[in-house]
Amino acid sequence: MAEAALSIKLRCASWQQLATIYKRDLSRGSMFLKASTQPPIGTLVRIDLELPSASVIELQGTIVKHVVDPQRGTGVDLQLEPLPTKSVWMIENALAAESKVRGDAPTMATPPTRAPTLSDGEDVSAAEVDLIRALEAEAESLRKLNPFLVLGVGYETTDADVRHAFGELTKRYHPDRFARYQSPKLRQIAAEIFILIRDAYRRLADEKSRQQVVATLGHRVPTRAQTQPRGSGPAPAPVRTAGGMPRVAVPPPKPAGLEAPTAPGPVITQQQHDAPTNPSAKSAELAHTELARSSEPHLAIPVEPARAPDPKLLRQTPPGGLPTEKPPAKRAPAAAPAAEPVDTSPLEALIDEGKLDEALSGYRVLSKKHPQDRACRAGIELVEGLKALGARDRLEAAQRFEAALELDPSNERAARELADMRRQATNERKGLLSRLMGKKEPPP
Amino acid sequence: MSRIIGIDLGTTNSCVAVLDERGQPKTLVGADGERTTPSWVSWSPDGTITVGTRARRQAVTNASATVFGAKRLIGRKVNAEDVAWFAKLAPFRIVAAPNGDAWVRVQGQPISPQEIAAHVLRRLRAVAEEALGEPVTRCVVTVPAYFDDAQRQATRDAGQIAGLDVIRILNEPTAAALAYGAHRVREGRRLIAVFDLGGGTFDISIMSVENGIFEVLATGGDSALGGEDWDRRILERIVDEVFDQYRVDLTGVPMALSRLREAAENAKKALSAASETMLQLPFLANDQHGAPINYERTVTRDEIEQLTQDLLDRVEAPCRRAMKDAGLESTDVEEVLLVGGMTRWPAVQRTVEKLFSRKPSKGANPDEVVALGAAAYAGILSGEADDAQLLDVTPHDIGIKVGDSGFSVIIPRNSMLPVRARKLFATASDDQKFVSIELYQGESNDLRGNRKLGQVVLDDLPPGPAGSVRVELVMTVDVESILGVTARELRTGKEASVTIRPSGGLSQREIVEIINRRRQESSIVARLPSEGGHIARVATREQPAVVPPDDEK
Repeated sequence: MAEAALSIKLRCASWQQLATIYKRDLSRGSMFLKASTQPPIGTLVRIDLELPSASVIELQGTIVKHVVDPQRGTGVDLQLEPLPTKSVWMIENALAAESKVRGDAPTMATPPTRAPTLSDGEDVSAAEVDLIRALEAEAESLRKLNPFLVLGVGYETTDADVRHAFGELTKRYHPDRFARYQSPKLRQIAAEIFILIRDAYRRLADEKSRQQVVATLGHRVPTRAQTQPRGSGPAPAPVRTAGGMPRVAVPPPKPAGLEAPTAPGPVITQQQHDAPTNPSAKSAELAHTELARSSEPHLAIPVEPARAPDPKLLRQTPPGGLPTEKPPAKRAPAAAPAAEPVDTSPLEALIDEGKLDEALSGYRVLSKKHPQDRACRAGIELVEGLKALGARDRLEAAQRFEAALELDPSNERAARELADMRRQATNERKGLLSRLMGKKEPPP
Repeated sequence: MSRIIGIDLGTTNSCVAVLDERGQPKTLVGADGERTTPSWVSWSPDGTITVGTRARRQAVTNASATVFGAKRLIGRKVNAEDVAWFAKLAPFRIVAAPNGDAWVRVQGQPISPQEIAAHVLRRLRAVAEEALGEPVTRCVVTVPAYFDDAQRQATRDAGQIAGLDVIRILNEPTAAALAYGAHRVREGRRLIAVFDLGGGTFDISIMSVENGIFEVLATGGDSALGGEDWDRRILERIVDEVFDQYRVDLTGVPMALSRLREAAENAKKALSAASETMLQLPFLANDQHGAPINYERTVTRDEIEQLTQDLLDRVEAPCRRAMKDAGLESTDVEEVLLVGGMTRWPAVQRTVEKLFSRKPSKGANPDEVVALGAAAYAGILSGEADDAQLLDVTPHDIGIKVGDSGFSVIIPRNSMLPVRARKLFATASDDQKFVSIELYQGESNDLRGNRKLGQVVLDDLPPGPAGSVRVELVMTVDVESILGVTARELRTGKEASVTIRPSGGLSQREIVEIINRRRQESSIVARLPSEGGHIARVATREQPAVVPPDDEK
């Protein structure tokens, strides 16, 4: 990254504040900064975002616009660089962990600016407020996904599978499902979600249109690395995994989705029927996002998946059908194999036996001996992660597993643990929705 | 929360159903053992209101105060062509309300069709409460898929008058498909056509059913075509014959008309099974010399089929168009469901077979299947059933006025609900100050053939040459068919929006007045012995049954 001309420290005093910034700014890839003097457009700005936990996340952006707005005040609009996955990870985990501690729904805290209050002042029960939040988070994440990810189907799927996926999602999100609740807002959000789902369904309904969508996603599809080349563990199918991934879309400036050539008279210049929140140009945006994500050499597995996928769907997605099937030999430089592979199998056995401390010191010794060997350093991270998991520190654990995979993408155990965490989060999410809706969910 | 009942509010017969303990829909049987209730309401001279079979029995003796077919009038203007036809041969008087709506005049009092429908709904509610042993306040009511917004809203208003919260208006063919498909679990996708020819309306819906998802692909129909039209043809033939023979116009004799109507319907029913039947109408009226007219003759099915061929022809175009809208060939449909009493007519079945190249299914009881579907849907809405979901569509194109009388469709008919669509506009002249967007519903390319829904005006547009200022129009229709429209100027972000609340003809004030008046009446009823179990209501005659419209005072 180039040297930033401006450096700013931004401190989040509360998790709520972080959630607001995250949702309002970071997830859109832009940020508004108040400033009495406006630096020239194109100025690089570096922001150190300090979390309430005192850890710091580095953001970098470029000033793209000077804003003089009576409501927002004078300032500049920043276009942010894509956030490193690790930072996204950190924020999401922090938020998830925080809401967990407070006994909240494991969804993102809703920023006060979009608090689920009702315009007509109707009294809505707390359960409904929770449900509204859960749905809002759901809508938010679905908006960032391409149609395949929205429906949770593989790129090489069948008409029947698309219909089935659509049907299952419909049964969960159709506004009629929320008819028995007081809050009209609930149905409104459900309608938003349903329109996204329906739009995805329309675009994937037959092979020809699927091809077209795949074409707009371009060459990115096959580059997604599969974490688990040896493939005995219960790692989720790549697409599903990806489904939970683009939690933070870092899109380019808003695509000019609705801008159309001007024409005289009140004539129709362009129409997007049935594709309201996903104008066709948006797929380009999504595609861009995809690219940013898939260039990461590892899977990002947020604690909260984009939405609760049906376990059945999870299984159904044929990993073999995906272009990622080819051995992911070429990965990011991080994955470059060490010159002399070090045999870590005895230590892996120790891990399997649960002797974590012994395994840890074993890895440390090996690591000292072979400072170049990434597998050993990954081992350390793995064991630290397992220990954190034992101590119920999911945030720490996830970060450790993440680091392990970054060092050694072929670390099967780390991938499996992450997949498990993700699945667990998925179930929690699903359970939450069911619980909020007063349904009994069969135990996973 | 009380249970939600499903109501099929029919032109001729109505039916109520609910989900049983096993989650299966079942029809509820009234005290008199009937599974359907005739949609008839009768006012006896002492002011007692009877509903259902008892009302129907008064059709002959109390013809001018016994009302049926209110569904043909609800939400309609009196000058609509089919309303005018209906009025001509109805034994009761149909009058114009101040706003042009078709009302009924009974014993000198104008009564809205909403109120008449409310009497039927109240009766069904009583049937349900008796059968369930608990109060009922919420319902799903079905209407023909082809009903427009005004007709739907008027039906909702009828529910409100009857003390029922209509939580959803459901399309009849969709309901029928739901009832039909709910107990037929089959792997894979099935394309079905629902052919619904009831007493007063015709609907055709093309649907796909798979894994509990009932998706309407296209819908169409004729909201003014039904079994009663067949009856009317038979009736007209008799009236003509009597006139030719005796020079007596029976259309001026309400009692004779009522008898003819009943005789015609019976003949039609008989001819559904037999190839000929006998019409016997002794003492129908007096001729010019005061001698009684005894009408008696044999009618054959062939004769009636010839007489009604043009009616049958009217079902073809909507069917073809629905298939086209669904993007299907007629042979793609794997199953055709028959709904509505009129589908018992052999010629109707032959036509369906010809249109879809396959024999239609007649398994389900066509009189109850719609109510069963409404109950199943009530189960979905209440959360009792979660393995099925209906996906219904907009029945009509929704669009805006362009130019002088052009119609530009923004949400095409058969769009899955909820739906949202946008369109961009550019200004037509330099420094245009405002845009006014008029919203219409209908299928005609010419605006005048369509119904205006409302308009949205966006003013204070920023200055700029023609075409440089752009306005984005966003239209949404929610699952309850409520239309919302927002216009936004893209540069300044200035917005104007409107939610189109359809009007069924009665204002909220009028509805509340009707409800209040009924309360007063009920308090009188409470002191009177109830009569034989049916709903007996005594209206205080001093009070007008309806607030007289201003210009009638």
